[in-house]
Amino acid sequence: MWTSITVGTLNNLVDWFIPANVVHDVDMRKQARIFLYSHLFGPFIGNTVPLALYYFDPKPGFQITVLAVSITGFWIFPFLLRAFGHYYLLATISIENLIFCILWSCYFYGGVTSPTLPWVLTIPLLALFYVGSSPRMRLAVLTLFAVNLAGFLYLYSVVGHPVSSMPFSAMEGLGMVSTVATSLYVAMMALFYANALAAQVELGAEMREHMAKATELRAAAREAQLAGAAKSGFLANFSHELRTPLNAVVGYSEMLLEDMNAATEPEAIADVQKIHAAGHFLLKLVNEILELTKIEAGKMEVNFEPVDLQALTGRVGERHRPLARQNGLDLIVSCDPGLATVMTDPAKLESALGQLVDNAINFTREGRITVTAARAAGQNGEEAVISVRDTGIGIAPERFGSLFEQFNLAADTSASKYGGTGLGLALSKKISNLLGGDLSIESKINVGSCFSIKIPLVAVDAPQGREDQDVAEAMSEADAYHHRLRTLVGEAGREARRLPSAAADIRMAVNG
Amino acid sequence: MAKILLVEDNEHNRDMLTRRLRRSGFEVCCAVDGPSGVAMASSEQPDLILMDVALGAMDGWEATGLIKRSSRTAHIPVIALTAHALASDRETSVSIGCVDFDTKPVDLPRLLSKINACLAVHS
Repeated sequence: MWTSITVGTLNNLVDWFIPANVVHDVDMRKQARIFLYSHLFGPFIGNTVPLALYYFDPKPGFQITVLAVSITGFWIFPFLLRAFGHYYLLATISIENLIFCILWSCYFYGGVTSPTLPWVLTIPLLALFYVGSSPRMRLAVLTLFAVNLAGFLYLYSVVGHPVSSMPFSAMEGLGMVSTVATSLYVAMMALFYANALAAQVELGAEMREHMAKATELRAAAREAQLAGAAKSGFLANFSHELRTPLNAVVGYSEMLLEDMNAATEPEAIADVQKIHAAGHFLLKLVNEILELTKIEAGKMEVNFEPVDLQALTGRVGERHRPLARQNGLDLIVSCDPGLATVMTDPAKLESALGQLVDNAINFTREGRITVTAARAAGQNGEEAVISVRDTGIGIAPERFGSLFEQFNLAADTSASKYGGTGLGLALSKKISNLLGGDLSIESKINVGSCFSIKIPLVAVDAPQGREDQDVAEAMSEADAYHHRLRTLVGEAGREARRLPSAAADIRMAVNG
Repeated sequence: MAKILLVEDNEHNRDMLTRRLRRSGFEVCCAVDGPSGVAMASSEQPDLILMDVALGAMDGWEATGLIKRSSRTAHIPVIALTAHALASDRETSVSIGCVDFDTKPVDLPRLLSKINACLAVHS
């Protein structure tokens, strides 16, 4: 517990020195952190050597001052990094300074048998920590190390070296201090890496858990989609099977009506008319179910083409006028002449509008039905608004929300009373959405209702059926989640790869 | 009197449409499946063929394809009848060589206007 708190606090301190251009590079930020750790805390440990030399050397000279200044100079590096950036340049200069400090003290105090020689071990360790995974930088710092070492050996053995003024017992003391300090230093760096590693392993396990969950989500979404498709397929087939016998009922009763004599058998005609009307109603219901399931299965094809709205509204008016007149209603159709042509699917729009007019006639006992088409400014540009206004019984506002849900009206007593199938409004709404628009309602009890289909005047990509869209949304969300996790695991993996011994199981998560 | 060949596998639909077309003044002959439809197109030489798409083993598209490939029957116009008003059905019917396309359930006045328009062009 305390280590994680300490590490967190230290990270905050260290992060203050990290410049903006390094913060956004995850790999470089990690390298910079260890660079800053060693530079902030290293000089405390490193300066024990010049202190020990000063204490043990009977004749301390300039070489100790040079060493102390060089080691203390490491403290400037974090500030230089914050001020100027250039991480790799600073890292290289720092490594050179480290090599200099160590070889300098060895040169004056015992050469290849110097008590400060253990410090040489920290050179490749730190150098490789600083530069990260770049092969070019690794080669550069190792070459730097080799060249320095060669220069040192040449200078020491060929050119010559000063004779140490320290007695053997002093050398022993220096050796003790140097070994303890080196061990402390290496232990500090190892502790830092062990902490980083533990965090990585934990992260890796968490990632794997999330990945498994994401896979589960995808499977569930796919299953739901398949179940939905199976349901829609069954309904579509079943509706189709129902249509064939219904065609016979409607067709034969129509033929009977053509043959019968109104003068001699009026009662029989009335009966056959009832059979015909009931058959027609059933056929309509089945067709609506078929249309709805087609939309839900995303199988409804939409063909956008230039459509003359004046002609279309006129056609719908002509088709429904006999029924309206039969119910004692006026049916008025008017179309804004400025709205001659729109891009839409004529058959679908005609069907949606027909449903609304049908609905209006069914729910109006007296007065008139007015169909208007006009241009209006919508939220996303211009729209064509086709409205069907009636003087019927009206709808209470609290029922607006559930009005477009399929089968809703079917459960309502008023539906059978007024002869609606209960699917017409749901179908109109779905078709309006399919055409890139929407269906809205305004109504007042006992005053009348107004249903408006709004379709955009610019060509748009037709959206899919709603359920399909929901599943698609869920799928794409799961995909995005999966992708994000993969990116994170990839990052974790890249960092882990720099810790060769422990990376194996995270790499498994990355590859698997 | 124009002669129409109706290819339809459902007994009720076939009976109804035959009687109603006869009442409208056409001479009508019937086939109950694809192969007999192809054979009758050749032997009866009708002025027009009404082809149900959803037949048994040989569907209406296949039968129409055979009719269009035979030199004895290629000239006879074919109107396809389908239960699904899908755009893809329309495309298929055009690509196979049908002159027109109508959906079931049959709306008699609409079908008659299509038949008359078709016969006017081909006579």
